[in-house]
Amino acid sequence: MKFGAIKNLGQSEPSVIPGFGITLGFTTFFLCAIVLIPLAALVLKAAGMDWERFVAVITSPRALASYRLSFGASLVAATVNMVFGFALAWTLVRYDFPGRKFVDAIIDMPFALPTAVSGIALTTVFAANGWIGQYLEPQGIKVAYTWIGITVALTLIGMPFVVRTVQPALQEVQRDLEDAAETLGAGRFYVFRRIIVPTVLPALLTGFTLAFARAVGEYGSVIFIAGNMPMKTEITPLLIVIRLEEFDYAGAAALGCVMLAISFVMLLAINLLQVWGRKRMMVSR
Amino acid sequence: MSIALDQVTKRYQDQPVVNDVSIEVGEGEFFVLLGPSGSGKSTLLRAIAGLTGIDHGRISLHGRDVTHLRARDRGVGLVFQNYALFRHMTVADNIEFALRVRRTKGAARRARRKELLKLVALEGMDERLPGQLSGGQQQRVAVARALAHKPQVLLLDEPFGALDAKIREELRRTIRSVQRELGITTVLVTHDQEEAFALADTIGVMNHGRLLEVGQPTDLYAQPATRFVATFLGAANLLLARQSADGIRFGATPVNAEGAEPLQAGREHEVVAVLRPEEVELAATREELASNFIARGAVEEIVFTGAFERMRVRLLDEPCAAQLLGSGAASDARLEVTRTQHDRRSLPLRAGAQIALGARRLHVLPTPLSSFLACAPTVAEAEELAREPLLERLSTNMKTRVGLRAIAPATEGLGPPTPPFSGVAAIAGGSDSATTVEWLLRHGASEVLVLPRNAPSPTRVFIHWTDEAARRATLAVSASLLRHVSAEAVYLGIVPAGPPGAGRAAPMRALLDARSEAQQSHGLEMRTELAIGETVTELTRNLSTGAAQMLVLGITDIAQGASAYRSLLAAQPGWPVLIVYRPAETRSLPDIAA
Repeated sequence: MKFGAIKNLGQSEPSVIPGFGITLGFTTFFLCAIVLIPLAALVLKAAGMDWERFVAVITSPRALASYRLSFGASLVAATVNMVFGFALAWTLVRYDFPGRKFVDAIIDMPFALPTAVSGIALTTVFAANGWIGQYLEPQGIKVAYTWIGITVALTLIGMPFVVRTVQPALQEVQRDLEDAAETLGAGRFYVFRRIIVPTVLPALLTGFTLAFARAVGEYGSVIFIAGNMPMKTEITPLLIVIRLEEFDYAGAAALGCVMLAISFVMLLAINLLQVWGRKRMMVSR
Repeated sequence: MSIALDQVTKRYQDQPVVNDVSIEVGEGEFFVLLGPSGSGKSTLLRAIAGLTGIDHGRISLHGRDVTHLRARDRGVGLVFQNYALFRHMTVADNIEFALRVRRTKGAARRARRKELLKLVALEGMDERLPGQLSGGQQQRVAVARALAHKPQVLLLDEPFGALDAKIREELRRTIRSVQRELGITTVLVTHDQEEAFALADTIGVMNHGRLLEVGQPTDLYAQPATRFVATFLGAANLLLARQSADGIRFGATPVNAEGAEPLQAGREHEVVAVLRPEEVELAATREELASNFIARGAVEEIVFTGAFERMRVRLLDEPCAAQLLGSGAASDARLEVTRTQHDRRSLPLRAGAQIALGARRLHVLPTPLSSFLACAPTVAEAEELAREPLLERLSTNMKTRVGLRAIAPATEGLGPPTPPFSGVAAIAGGSDSATTVEWLLRHGASEVLVLPRNAPSPTRVFIHWTDEAARRATLAVSASLLRHVSAEAVYLGIVPAGPPGAGRAAPMRALLDARSEAQQSHGLEMRTELAIGETVTELTRNLSTGAAQMLVLGITDIAQGASAYRSLLAAQPGWPVLIVYRPAETRSLPDIAA
């Protein structure tokens, strides 16, 4: 009996994918092997140093400058993405224009492109003699080999995260809601501020978080456009690689721990903000 | 007038979805716009609200022209089918939305909110979120929200669509009582006739973007003017009957009927009659019937629905069965009958039982277009003609049938044909179509449709008559035709070229007369255009201005009409032309005597 066989395999509530035990087991294994064990190893490695040296490494002026650059540029890039990613998603959801499908497909390109390639491409375009760089240079705007270039690279790789999270949320804002608000007397800006933004805000924050997390960890594209001058355009991941090349494994691990800690705190903060925001919206307006 | 729509037209990609609609809704009236999906009723409602712009016409609310005003400045409240509540806001904030926009003070806002929640029986729900309410409660909130800013007009777009039957009825009652209490002018859009009956002071029925009929529920049900309204408002059997000087006959039997227009010019003709299922009387034998016998029948199917028993009855007398249009395909038309439980007990029936059928009340539709008769030299050609897309479409939309007839204008003499022509005679277009038209009209046909091959369904119908004596009939035919195709109607008045100034006032007045008569007597909204020049040239020029145009031509003189329009009818590829012939009253008597 076919049905009997299926029944024996499944748990009390059979679903499309059978085997709660197997799936949970795999989830646990995945978390351990890919996330938890390497992280634990990182912390252990860093713990191998004594405290004074640890503090000295992580608070060296060069390290501090790299944190500022890494997190600062990532924040700026994620913020830019939040604004323009929203605009992009809005255009894609609300308007039908020739080539819309094409634009929609292009959005995903940064996902697929090797980051080194986009880094080199950006450098070519924004270098002092590049396509765009040659016009910016006379205006006194240097993009390549400055923090601006780093931000541009981080914006590029973060954009699809915002667009792809906001798109479905925007699709859910029914035209009827806007129509209802309009008949009730609300102007366009009022509708945008009071109806559209609150509805897509959770998705927007998620997109921001993803773009930010991605930017902090980005390495490939940045090293080409950054110029990598210590204290000026050196991001923390690069500093870690330099330490590794000097066989200073403990030092690299210490910096890694700091990145881990800061990222964790920031992601936690954004998540809390999101939860708080959702509650606030639910309770009052 | 609280709401006045004047010839409102809205097109999407050149297709009119709302076609020349004029409505007047009185102060405090509950007006229901009823129509099937795609009839343009929701578009019209959105146009009143200001959410959809219109291409033509005027909209005024309480005497103020709001045609070009934005939705937020019109002062209307709109309720949507899917509630459209702001889900991130509480009930209180939803209701106060319109007041916040207007920067009303907090205390006034709260007071108004309490008042509205009491009105829709949702007291104490202020702090709930829409997600925590049932569908019925959410729609109540939506109604309260739409009323917060004291709109002059309340608009409801299928407000019960997403609710189940019990809640629907409860909410219906709430909306009715709120509307009565506030005395607010209300327009509700629905496709559910039961809902329309339960709520409306006045019902307007729409189909194909046109407003077909407006009236009180009871009047529309008892005396519909169009077959669409007859069949859309409740169930109806449509029958083809013949009207002559002796009265109305269905099959071989004379029946009592009401609503029949006086006979025109003494010509016997075909009419469409409505027989409601509950007006059919059943008895074991013909003698036991209290009402007029119409036919014998066999019960085919019985459905028990609680309060009523519904049956489908096959008519046994062949000539009668052929005259039944029914609601489905013409070939297997059955008579729908409903009986009360009381009637069921006095005459229990099973499927297969043979019975006598009587009509307690038969209503004759004032439409001059009853059925079609495809005429061609051979039956095979007539069959082919009957498959013409335009003819098929017209007969389907009119729920009528297309008969076949082989005719031979060359050999048949001028003696009366047997059987007499009934309905609209349809012939193929071509170089000698004028000759055939003349022959058909001389043999008793009153309307002839000349169909070029593969003519598309028209998007614009020109109306013209050669003689003011043909005006009434031509308008009636045009109105009937235009209820079944979504096209614009344009009356073309033509005056001969001559010195300007003198003699122009009379044609202009005729134009306006024609428009107001079309509107008042036939419920037809049409535009009017005046052309100067030779009649056939001007008609041809206007017909050539766009694709898919059609002409309705009223004539009073066969010989003159046929010769004058020979070139128009012979044009290739040509246009569908519906010729309406009514002998002028003064000349008709010698004509018949001859």
